[in-house]
Amino acid sequence: MTRLNRYTCEEAFRRLDDYLDHELSPEETVLVREHLEICAGCAREFNFERSVVEGVEQKLQQIDMPDTLQSRILKLLKDQR
Amino acid sequence: MYAMCDVSDDPTTDVADAIASTKPVAVTLSADDFQAMLIDVLPSLYRYAFRLTRNRADAEDLVQDTALRAFRAIGQFEPGTNFKAWIFRILTRGFWASHRRGQRRPNTVDFDDTPDLYLYARSAENGLQWQGDDPARALIDRLGAERVAEAIGQLPEEYGVVCTLCFIEDFAYHEVAEVLEVPVGTVRSRLHRGRKMLQKALWYLAQEAGIVNDLSKRGAAT
Repeated sequence: MTRLNRYTCEEAFRRLDDYLDHELSPEETVLVREHLEICAGCAREFNFERSVVEGVEQKLQQIDMPDTLQSRILKLLKDQR
Repeated sequence: MYAMCDVSDDPTTDVADAIASTKPVAVTLSADDFQAMLIDVLPSLYRYAFRLTRNRADAEDLVQDTALRAFRAIGQFEPGTNFKAWIFRILTRGFWASHRRGQRRPNTVDFDDTPDLYLYARSAENGLQWQGDDPARALIDRLGAERVAEAIGQLPEEYGVVCTLCFIEDFAYHEVAEVLEVPVGTVRSRLHRGRKMLQKALWYLAQEAGIVNDLSKRGAAT
């Protein structure tokens, strides 16, 4: 049986950011996924966007806290008690 | 440079008022519980502070100041609510209270009317799309962490902060809304626009660094 409520490219694209950020409802997520399974153009765009987001996240997370900061703060808190 | 706030700028004051106006606080977090929760979020807090201040010394000062302010305001935190969002809010307010806008790097990119899929379209135009399985990742990897951070730093502040919270800490939209004290719809629209701006900034930096040329040549040679 043919589903009548499939998303069009435009409807799927409108949900791109929310989809990548896991902010869609489960029903909307399924509809976007179904669209991506049958639309190679949108799938390519979505994969590209996902890759940009994941790449940026990974780069931005490459920063380590200095070893001494935690102990310095805990000492300050102890002094405050 | 990050500067400590004076009392009139106290970033915990409005938080306390807002909480007090809605719910009476029945239970107070113990100092030990506060410390344990703080230790859990400290690396994230530092990463966020570093992205805001863009240098290690100021980030350390900001985190330290935030920890002290939060500790003094411990009675305003309601156990069972989102500690991470609460302390990120204190840090954000502390940063904004002391941040001198003039210190931000002047924006060299015109972000007006940046179209959707900016990086995708530019990559395709320059033959980057057809290299390997993941052309976006190839571009970002070549740009490196420093240039990606620089691109975020070029965004107008309200967009850069939303992108930073979503990208670094993986906060949900409602948590970003809680940190920044804005409606969820504002977070959604700023993030959408911020992402487009970020893609443009990344592209310009890639061009400036010769990465686009390099990747285009490689694409043409294959």
